[in-house]
Amino acid sequence: MSAALLSARGVHFRYREREVLSGVDLHVGEGEVAILLGPNGVGKSTLLKIISGLLSPGSGEVTLIGRPPASYGRREMARLLSVVGQEPPVDFPMSVEEYVALGRFPHQGFFGGMTGEDRGQVERALEMSELLELRARGLGEISAGERQRAAVARAVCQGAKVMLLDEPTAFLDIYHRVAFYEIVSRLKKECGIGALVASHDLSLCAEYGERIVLLSAGRVLASGKPEDVLTPGNIREAYGVDVTCDRNPATGAVRVTPLRKRNATEQ
Amino acid sequence: MKRSGSVIAVLGAAALGAVALSLATGPAAVPFRQVVDALFGGSATGSSAETAERIVLSLRLPRALLGCLVGGALSSSGVAFQALLRNPLADPYILGVSAGAAVGALTAALLLPGDAVLPLPFCAFLGAVLAASVVFLLARRRSGVSRERLILMGVIVGAFLNALIMLMVALAPPGKIPGAVYWLMGDLGMGTPRRVAVLLPYVAAGTAVLLLLSRGLDLMLLGDDAAFQTGLPVERMKAITYVTASLLAGCVVAVSGLIGFVGLIVPHGARVLVGSGHRRLVPAAFLLGATFLILADVVARTVSPSGELPVGAVTALSGAPFFLYLLRRNGGKP
Repeated sequence: MSAALLSARGVHFRYREREVLSGVDLHVGEGEVAILLGPNGVGKSTLLKIISGLLSPGSGEVTLIGRPPASYGRREMARLLSVVGQEPPVDFPMSVEEYVALGRFPHQGFFGGMTGEDRGQVERALEMSELLELRARGLGEISAGERQRAAVARAVCQGAKVMLLDEPTAFLDIYHRVAFYEIVSRLKKECGIGALVASHDLSLCAEYGERIVLLSAGRVLASGKPEDVLTPGNIREAYGVDVTCDRNPATGAVRVTPLRKRNATEQ
Repeated sequence: MKRSGSVIAVLGAAALGAVALSLATGPAAVPFRQVVDALFGGSATGSSAETAERIVLSLRLPRALLGCLVGGALSSSGVAFQALLRNPLADPYILGVSAGAAVGALTAALLLPGDAVLPLPFCAFLGAVLAASVVFLLARRRSGVSRERLILMGVIVGAFLNALIMLMVALAPPGKIPGAVYWLMGDLGMGTPRRVAVLLPYVAAGTAVLLLLSRGLDLMLLGDDAAFQTGLPVERMKAITYVTASLLAGCVVAVSGLIGFVGLIVPHGARVLVGSGHRRLVPAAFLLGATFLILADVVARTVSPSGELPVGAVTALSGAPFFLYLLRRNGGKP
């Protein structure tokens, strides 16, 4: 097991009466891309919020590079961990470049302006996300998918060691979905980051994820290599759908194909 | 970046121009030459020159400077409230600040003996801060202050205080609060050198705090979660912004009453000119607000032959149509 950037042990969380997470264990190592899977409402976003310090767990513990999130100062933490969440729209005129540059905040003096280093990082993030041509456009003038790519670019230029991404490809076309995972792979290779990505894209996850964590009913149903986790039985139990799982002949990665619901009368 | 720098320079020049115009206009005709002499100690002597000097220095100059401070403070306060509430339709008065100030001032006017001019602004200031604190405390939950609750509580507290204002005005003994009614409409007539001197440190300090926090204000536009995850101590930032913006609005209400629309519209105009980055937006809004209010005051002093209009009437009359124009131009999105 590589050095743990991020680990969660026995995390419980409840919203009022409803228990959302009942004992979740999770581990993301250096240079590892872990994918968090699970049906809508299973608590993926809640878990990410707990890890980023927005919510505190009812019980259990989270450590980020060996310490609990609450023990870090805000800016210190933001230099270690960047997050792409499900954000409300910005109702003010702001260009893509200005928006992306906000990611440099934890590296700047509180009152300070952009340094050459900051500008370089913004440039690199825009380039990686293929947003150079949209840099001067207003956030209100671009599509939901483009905004999502800008949010990823903002997190990239934050330059953190760990990235949490909550359904970062939800609005993306297939080209940009692949491009997103390429960005994460590149950061993994070049900077040794660890990433935890909540997603619903089973096949791409199998292609790019070293580890898959499948949540179901508040617990980790299965965790490990894609081929061990993505089985018809696990997917049936977590999502309630029938699938076939085979290998992609081109890459050898697990390929998950949903099956049409069979009607009882047709059988 | 470069462009915004020159925009701010132009706005600064416009504010100076508005001050000059304000010094040169009024019921008494003072030739521009004498205005310049009065300001810079010209060589002219004689009774007309002395009268001119008195009019310019002790009446018009304090009034122009007051307009500058009030317009600037209302606008930067508006910028801060809009970032705090993530709502471009917020204004400095939205959270009950104005109603609190009015109740404070009316209480002073009704309870204190004599003409009691001096305690009036101070009590208005107290009322504003008190109302703002009550709203903030009511909106607080264990998890922090939510914008929705802040607006809801602000509206409720504001409605209650407005009812109190009506009650006080209705029940006041005749002749007890004539100035207060005028003050409720917004008025720069209280501009005296002393008032300008009292107001200056508050406005300077409040605006400086907003400038220093400009990067944090930028981040607040992303929403609480994203701002927090990007390294901003969100709850502390909200509290500081709220106190600063309320102080700015409250101290201004204390001196000049309820001047509406400036704090709502000027930030919009400034955003069109320099964008949403607060490092440029705060100074741009301050200068634009100063210019706008001084010009509105010039109109208020000259348009009616029978006397002065309250400047609040002028800002609202010109502000409301302009705001509608903005709304329509942006397809309903301010």
